[in-house]
Amino acid sequence: MHLHYIKLIARQEWNAIFRGRNTRILYFSLLAVSLLAMITGWQYVGKFNRQQATAHQQVYDQWMSQPDRHPHRVAHYGYLVFREKSPLSFFDFGLDSYVGNAVFLEAHRQNTINLSEASFSNGMLRFGELSMALVLQLLVPLLIIFIGFPTIAGLKQNGVLKILLCQRASYFDLLVGKTAGLTAAIWILFLPLILISLFVGSFFLSGKIGVDNTLRILIIVSSYAVYFLSIVLLVVGVSAVSRSAKQALMALVFGWILFIIIIPKSAQTLGSRLYEAPNKIAFEQAIEAEMSQQGDSHNPNDPHFAQLKADLLKKYGVDSVQALPLNYGAFVMKESETITSTLFNKHFDRLIGTYRSQNAVSTAFGFADPFLAIRNLSMNLSGTDFDSFTAFQQQTERYRYEKSQRLNEIHLTQIQYRNDSQQKVGADHWQRMPDFTFQPLSIAANLSAAGISLAALVCWVLAGFGALYYISTKRHFQL
Amino acid sequence: MIEAKNLTKRYGNHTAVNQLDLLIQPGEVFALLGQNGAGKTTTINLFLGFTEPSEGVALINGLSVADQPQEIKRYLAYIPETVMLYPNLTGIENLAYFSSLADFAYTPEELGSLLSATGLQTQAFNQRLSAYSKGMRQKVGIAIAVAKKAKALLLDEPTSGLDPKASSEFSEIIQTRAANGTAILMTTHDIFRAKEVASRIGIMKEGVLQSILDADTISANELESLYLKTV
Repeated sequence: MHLHYIKLIARQEWNAIFRGRNTRILYFSLLAVSLLAMITGWQYVGKFNRQQATAHQQVYDQWMSQPDRHPHRVAHYGYLVFREKSPLSFFDFGLDSYVGNAVFLEAHRQNTINLSEASFSNGMLRFGELSMALVLQLLVPLLIIFIGFPTIAGLKQNGVLKILLCQRASYFDLLVGKTAGLTAAIWILFLPLILISLFVGSFFLSGKIGVDNTLRILIIVSSYAVYFLSIVLLVVGVSAVSRSAKQALMALVFGWILFIIIIPKSAQTLGSRLYEAPNKIAFEQAIEAEMSQQGDSHNPNDPHFAQLKADLLKKYGVDSVQALPLNYGAFVMKESETITSTLFNKHFDRLIGTYRSQNAVSTAFGFADPFLAIRNLSMNLSGTDFDSFTAFQQQTERYRYEKSQRLNEIHLTQIQYRNDSQQKVGADHWQRMPDFTFQPLSIAANLSAAGISLAALVCWVLAGFGALYYISTKRHFQL
Repeated sequence: MIEAKNLTKRYGNHTAVNQLDLLIQPGEVFALLGQNGAGKTTTINLFLGFTEPSEGVALINGLSVADQPQEIKRYLAYIPETVMLYPNLTGIENLAYFSSLADFAYTPEELGSLLSATGLQTQAFNQRLSAYSKGMRQKVGIAIAVAKKAKALLLDEPTSGLDPKASSEFSEIIQTRAANGTAILMTTHDIFRAKEVASRIGIMKEGVLQSILDADTISANELESLYLKTV
């Protein structure tokens, strides 16, 4: 491999790309679509977060303005929690549009997260929204295909390849030089655009750019750089093994369909088949069935609660719940809340485990499809992936449980068992309770989840160079 | 300089080149005549290293093409039937690019001289190749070969499709290169041009070099009748 020749060939490829009228037309079309996606993304996420913040403030004000009342009424008054979109979600919508954005938290019940964009849209949403990530993942490879398909096959067809190979550069130099030139052109056209839009957009949405976001942006840009390189390698490789430019174009367009539609859908179907998840009704029925075995607080003959009552009476040396120094009704509710929450978490963790196994199939397919790898990586780093949504679900459930138990504790210690429902406590009790603040996943957590996708992309690049080397050693690929 | 020893190329049951023995000395032009499919282009490809011989050896400047494919490039230049090059580059840019890939860095004046030497009009130097005629492109192809200072020149039907004037100009350039000591192997269908340019003429049929004729001792008519009888 000779760096001198590679540089010369790369520079020539670069010049050829930028002198081509078709390249300019395609690029500016794609640039316009990217800018449109970026601006609408900023506007949408900004507006969404402002709406969520307003709604959150309303809910908070209503919560704080509750009069003195019975703590169990407060527990059932409930609290609505909103999911704010991550500052990078304008770049990659990920799962955001399909998962809920608000959840009503109340005692005894684990409500589902509702108000997804999909639930307020017609069926068109399933065809995908125009995000900048979508443009970069789907359309930039098409641009690379349309610019790069004749890069070697065209030279073969018009006989230039033979003249080129009669100079001093080897075929491998030529393939690497072509790859370098095409990659440099794509990088210069798109990477600064991604970098600037992510920094500006992130600042525009969150008012600051922290270390975490800076790191995320740099890794996103680097990941797309590797993704584009892997696509260029594929395009140059296919062009090099094709006998004509037309054959190369056909093969590459078929490859695009394979990578963008067929493999992702197959991976998803295979994942669902291998790891079957229960539907919502089955999930809730399983919890109820197990709960009835663990202990039913509404059944006076339930052995668990009967034992609990007996133990409590023995502990305090009394013979009736009325004689207890605490509110027995609140005690039962507290215990019931623990059982419900533990069971829910157990089943929920199992469900999440199933979904993670399904996602793992799709992630593993990243080794067969670079689009899947970059899609996972991009969602992950933008905070719009499955793990980020799950973190929100888990944090809201933890918050709900702690809030309910604190209210049960107030009920237990400050409300007498006799005439329970007629009593009240001061509003300052719940006014002092902390508000819910979602803690997004750290970049380390996101990266550890995205590590396989990153490795898949790197493997694609290594395999791409390996394939180019193999092609360069075969004489029949030079004719 | 250009040498084949028992050079054979088989594709399955088909023998494209069969036991070719040939030696072209520096300063000599050898024209290879034959019908389509006679094995002329395969012979050129064997000397270029684009295809591996089934038997025998192709040598350039004494080096085996199959064993030292990179090293032989130093001594070799090639002009195909149709020189396309890069249509978006000008004539001078194409020449500069191909020369730099052969490790030759020329000044713009030197590049201009190389193009002028092929008979290309000065005003065409800075025009994009997409505006060139086939003859003009062939001249840039020759300039690339000359710029490389190659000792062996392989021409695959270089005058095919050229008008008589361009073809004649091309012949003159070839003869000049030969006079400078370059060994030239040229495949062609053009009996008249072969007789005019070459010092020896070979007639190939079904991969076999049927006969080798001295161009100085055979008339064009004799060559034509022999060619027709052979193929």
